[in-house]
Amino acid sequence: MVVPTTFTVNDTHQQLDLDPRESLLDVLRERLRITGPKKGCDQGHCGACTVHLDGQRVLSCLTPAVQVEGRHVTTIEGISGPGGGLHPLQEAFIENDALQCGYCTPGQIMSGIACIAEGNAGTDDDIREYMSGNVCRCGAYPGIVAAIRQCAHRTEAS
Amino acid sequence: MSRVDARDKVRGAALYGSDQVPDGLAHAAFATATIDRGQITEVDTTRASEVPGVRLVLTHIDELRPAGFVMGGGFAVQSFQPLTTDRIAYKGQPIALVVADDPVTATYAASLIGATYVTEPFAVSLDDPGATAVVQEEAIPLPFLKDIKFGDADAAIAGSDVRVEQTYDHPPQNPAPMELLASVVEWRGDTLVVHEGTQNAAAVRNGLAQQLGLDASKIEVISPYLGGAFGQKNSLQNHTGPLAVAARRLGRPVKLVLTRPQTFHSGSFRPQSRHRIKVGADRGGRLTAIVHEADQQTSRHDLFPATFTEVSSRLYGVPAFRGRQRLVQTDVQTPGYMRAPFEHPAAWAVESAVDEISYQLGMDPLELKLANDATHDPVTGLPFSSRHVSECLRRGAEMFGWSRRPARPGSWLDPDGAQIGWGVAIGAYPASMTPAVARVTANADGTFQIDVDGHEMGQGIRSAIALLAAELLEADPALIRVGVGDTRVATQHLTAGSWGTASALPAVRAAVLELRPQLGGTLPVTVTASNGLPEAMVERARTGLVTLAGPVYDSFVTFSYVAHFVEVRVEKGTRRIRVPRVVSVADCGAVASPVTAASQVRGAVTWGLGAALREHLELDSRYGGFVNATLEEYPVSVNADIGQIDVDFIDKPDYQLNPVGVKGLGEVSMVGVAGAVSNAVFHATGRRIRKLPITLADLL
Repeated sequence: MVVPTTFTVNDTHQQLDLDPRESLLDVLRERLRITGPKKGCDQGHCGACTVHLDGQRVLSCLTPAVQVEGRHVTTIEGISGPGGGLHPLQEAFIENDALQCGYCTPGQIMSGIACIAEGNAGTDDDIREYMSGNVCRCGAYPGIVAAIRQCAHRTEAS
Repeated sequence: MSRVDARDKVRGAALYGSDQVPDGLAHAAFATATIDRGQITEVDTTRASEVPGVRLVLTHIDELRPAGFVMGGGFAVQSFQPLTTDRIAYKGQPIALVVADDPVTATYAASLIGATYVTEPFAVSLDDPGATAVVQEEAIPLPFLKDIKFGDADAAIAGSDVRVEQTYDHPPQNPAPMELLASVVEWRGDTLVVHEGTQNAAAVRNGLAQQLGLDASKIEVISPYLGGAFGQKNSLQNHTGPLAVAARRLGRPVKLVLTRPQTFHSGSFRPQSRHRIKVGADRGGRLTAIVHEADQQTSRHDLFPATFTEVSSRLYGVPAFRGRQRLVQTDVQTPGYMRAPFEHPAAWAVESAVDEISYQLGMDPLELKLANDATHDPVTGLPFSSRHVSECLRRGAEMFGWSRRPARPGSWLDPDGAQIGWGVAIGAYPASMTPAVARVTANADGTFQIDVDGHEMGQGIRSAIALLAAELLEADPALIRVGVGDTRVATQHLTAGSWGTASALPAVRAAVLELRPQLGGTLPVTVTASNGLPEAMVERARTGLVTLAGPVYDSFVTFSYVAHFVEVRVEKGTRRIRVPRVVSVADCGAVASPVTAASQVRGAVTWGLGAALREHLELDSRYGGFVNATLEEYPVSVNADIGQIDVDFIDKPDYQLNPVGVKGLGEVSMVGVAGAVSNAVFHATGRRIRKLPITLADLL
């Protein structure tokens, strides 16, 4: 069975014939070669595949690709600032060394941007709680909290 | 200086093995054994083969020759190669490889494969009937595996004023790096190209050469980034050879990403271990002797050697020590090295016992440690090239505020009624070095290319190399490109055992120093230099076999050290254990890259907390394998589990070890964390828990 599906990824129009069993993660990675979203479990446990769907964070491994019909997908590749510069949270991740191996990092940043937008980055404890769906096996958590705190405060100040 | 590859990583631009999507790519999936041990009588591939889009189903690959166990003079994670035998040696063993046009089809077709077996009784844990123990030094008569003994430890303990004799149980654990085991394999003409996250591109290359009967020069292994490894990616995996065969038969590149449960059941893991510890002391607080008898799980087909006593014999300056290590054969995939593989369990057990001694003596545990620091290596009598344990302890105590600790256990409550406990423990880890050769090129445009043995697992080896070269060349680090993890540019000997930076940096330094006077001449100019280890070792490394020097060198012995101070709060009612803060001070020689080094320690402390309070791979004695083979059920620490972690370094270079003065860091900083947690739990509750993980159920 094939389902014609139309959606945008990082503001680029996509029209694909999809198998209803295909995850959004596999479509992004294997069909569109957008490999920022990572496969860490394919079961919704780790958060490495986090992307934004119409601005909300979702686990792309648990999202059937056919369900994004007519919707807007944003991945780590699509969040750069005006003029192609880094997003403030990307800058904050570098400044706070909020990463080691980097494999979970795209998911952490996509979750972190949403965490701030949701209003869940007011305190360190809130950040820890609302970022706990994104596992970092290297243990960069203190840096991740610091980066999100810094970015949230700057967002508030501006 | 910030991490040199951070900009690529935060943009999702760093490419890991499975990020490769070459044209014409086919996708593979495994079907796996549902029994733990026995004989396959039939694998039924009929339905799988009929699925449209399936291109190949392999159940038995005749052309794969043995690659050998990496710790038995070979190249692979285990000597046993699935898909070359009808034997089932462990649950989850691959029994068929399906290749299809897309991942969904491959996964679906693999699910249609059925098998019939003749089952046999099996053992998966140390306590299962049928688990067989062998004395390691008899089973593997190699000098470095001989049991460590000096003085008459048993007599000394029997005659001591106070003594502890206890057993400490450590569970099996899984490294669970975020990046699944995965490869993209393609043939370019008669050259085999492998994209795979590995800590040992040289073993993947030479192991495949042996398996496939190829010349190693016809194999390229490309692994610029790993999504974590922690020991699990230290040699040729079992899936890579079959994938190469599939790609050759199909004439297409093939990608395989093992599922998370398959990664749990195929990847190496920290084996279950049990530690019988005896410690004696006199009334004045001098330790008289330590006995450490350890049993460690191994597989039925390989002896995964244990070196617990290498570190337990050297934590303190004891006059007598007796070690005995046994390996217990069970029906699992061969276990392996997981961050601080022996040092973490050994130090947890010994530091728990020494803490017990301190309470028997009525002595502050910190004072007991300071009173028993070693002045020289107790095992060999040689001097330590550097050892700053006492300084780690003193500085950590100051940062932590240890002097405010009430002595009596179970006496300290916070305003919410949670019991507060403070614990301290030390750790040590051998400082080894392996051969490394650096090739440094100065280009006419002012940039530099540095290619060297090493793999970037996230520890920051690229950053340490760029920082050193930038200093020596007085150049902007942004102008320096570092090539690691790629057999096209260097041998790529195994990066593990915390020897990566200490091995690569001296080679880079030598090459840069030789290059510097030539910078005024015609460019480009290239200089190659090694880190000075004997040529015979360099040659052995080129063959893909593991070779290392240390921690016992000709005239000295070298370890890295750390001291950890941990606060726990045991919540009222639920008895949940929280860790609001940790202070860790490490002696890793010179700190090569301050930013990434501090992250290494925070990450290692996070590992220690997970090991102490959460991580337990549940062996399934009824059905075989592991019960909790997902990231949901195998509980690695999440953000909400981790509080404040303050890190400091002694930062005294060890120039006896190498001209850069660098020892290792990534593993020592985990060693002792679990001991400090156990000791803090005792201080909070008065209850001594002698197993890991310590859960609320232990404190009800």
